[in-house]
Amino acid sequence: MENLISQERVIALPSARKEDWREAIPRILIKAKPGLVELDCRDWKLSCRDLKKIISFFEKAGLKINLIRSNVVQTLVSASALGHQTVLRLGEQSKSSSYEENNNSNITRKSSLLFHEGTLRAGEHLEADGDVLLVGDVNPGAKISSGGNVMVWGRLRGSAHAGKFGNQNAKIVALQLRPLQLRIANEIARGPEEKPQEGLAEEAIIESGQIIIQPAKTNPLP
Amino acid sequence: MSTNTRIILICSGKGGVGKTTLTANLGIALARTGVRTAVLDADFGLRNLDLLLGLENRIVYTAQEVLEESCRLDQALVKHKQEPNLALLPAGNPRMLEWLKPDDMQRIVSMLSDQFDYVLIDCPAGVEDGFKNAVSASKEAIVVTNPEVSAVRDADRVIGLLNTNGINPVQLVLNRVRPKMIASQEMLSVDDVTDILALPLLGLVLEDEQVIVSTNRGVPLTLSGINSPAARCYSNIASRLQGEEVPLIDPAKEGSGMRDKFRRLMQTKIF
Ligand SMILES: Nc1ncnc2c1ncn2[C@@H]1O[C@H](COP(=O)(O)OP(=O)(O)OP(=O)(O)O)[C@@H](O)[C@H]1O
Ligand SMILES: [Mg+2]
Repeated sequence: MENLISQERVIALPSARKEDWREAIPRILIKAKPGLVELDCRDWKLSCRDLKKIISFFEKAGLKINLIRSNVVQTLVSASALGHQTVLRLGEQSKSSSYEENNNSNITRKSSLLFHEGTLRAGEHLEADGDVLLVGDVNPGAKISSGGNVMVWGRLRGSAHAGKFGNQNAKIVALQLRPLQLRIANEIARGPEEKPQEGLAEEAIIESGQIIIQPAKTNPLP
Repeated sequence: MSTNTRIILICSGKGGVGKTTLTANLGIALARTGVRTAVLDADFGLRNLDLLLGLENRIVYTAQEVLEESCRLDQALVKHKQEPNLALLPAGNPRMLEWLKPDDMQRIVSMLSDQFDYVLIDCPAGVEDGFKNAVSASKEAIVVTNPEVSAVRDADRVIGLLNTNGINPVQLVLNRVRPKMIASQEMLSVDDVTDILALPLLGLVLEDEQVIVSTNRGVPLTLSGINSPAARCYSNIASRLQGEEVPLIDPAKEGSGMRDKFRRLMQTKIF
């Protein structure tokens, strides 16, 4: 159920299973009154480039986005990278897709994706065979590792290992990348000394045999 | 078992950060406000809560005899002479570590709950059996740490364990704060610590020589009536624990020059 009070100010994309947002947007925007709105991206997995496009359509129609909602963490990472305030909606996600509850209620698993909500504290280790999405911080002394990508919707201050079975294309993405140690496949790097810029998502990838850190400009998921 | 009794674990992970000192001072400060308070020494290996409270020579029985049913609880409880609302249940001999189980700890605490409003449990350092036993009997916790990277790391580990054990609320006391060192950025600031631990801050305790003096005398600062920076901090923590809103001290305003000392003296005279 939508929040009735803010309903007129929320503009939602159609569900990814029903219609392409590129087709739906002109129709949606014609009806919208100019002003401040919240954008609900529903189940769309959007790269920064996609989101920028959407935002510019909105701006042309006189709409300013003050908050971006989504059920997909990758979209929120993109939105944060563009400097937008974000809200993750898990309720709808678990209702509308095939996510199943594990016996630990804040862990959700779907095929090769492990989802965990909550901060990892010193001594804790979250491990996954496929991709892992964490909503929360990885504190110093905590560890997150996966066979695929590591995505942290929060601050990464502990250590992270992506592609632990040898996948060189795996990435580590975080809203704040300030780790003690990073590993991708067999490469190891110490975290950067300087503090990261606030509000910019960053990613670590392997480039010419070395781990580099860059702003998460591209789609966080390959 | 009384359900209103506050059963509070005082723990830290790292050793020597000030758990026992806090337990003793908080115990006295709470008792002074009129609530019936028990302090339980759960550090069976290195018991010293009795020492800090100046009660060492009055111990006859301990938690061990209570568990073995060779004495009654009230025989083992050591009432504080000057502060009759406070009682200590002393730790038994270190061999207790070998057989004590979570059940035993729960039994002791449940007995104490019948007679007291507050039960403070002085936890051993570490995250091994002694810690686990104490956690199993507690409802809420105060995590004590120092503004040092290693102490904060261990506190974080302990908080994770408290959370998975359903302890709630878990609050933070930052002990041995040195305003000068924070100002010169030689020490982690209050924000640095709360940024990582993400816990409600129950209070700060300033570094204070009087703590060491009072420890050696076996007279907790909160009892001695000495107006020292740490004494005020401990009393504030007791007030906040009881739901009063007392503003946090600002380390930036806590100097150690003559003028500051004078100002502090003036302030305490007024209240
Ligand atoms: N605020 C303070 N200012 C100065 N000294 C302090 C302060 N708090 C504690 N200390 C000193 O630090 C030492 C350790 O304190 P305490 O015994 O309370 O720690 P603990 O956490 O109980 O240690 P353990 O883990 O060994 O049980 C003592 O010598 C005590 O006097
Ligand atoms: Mg101690």
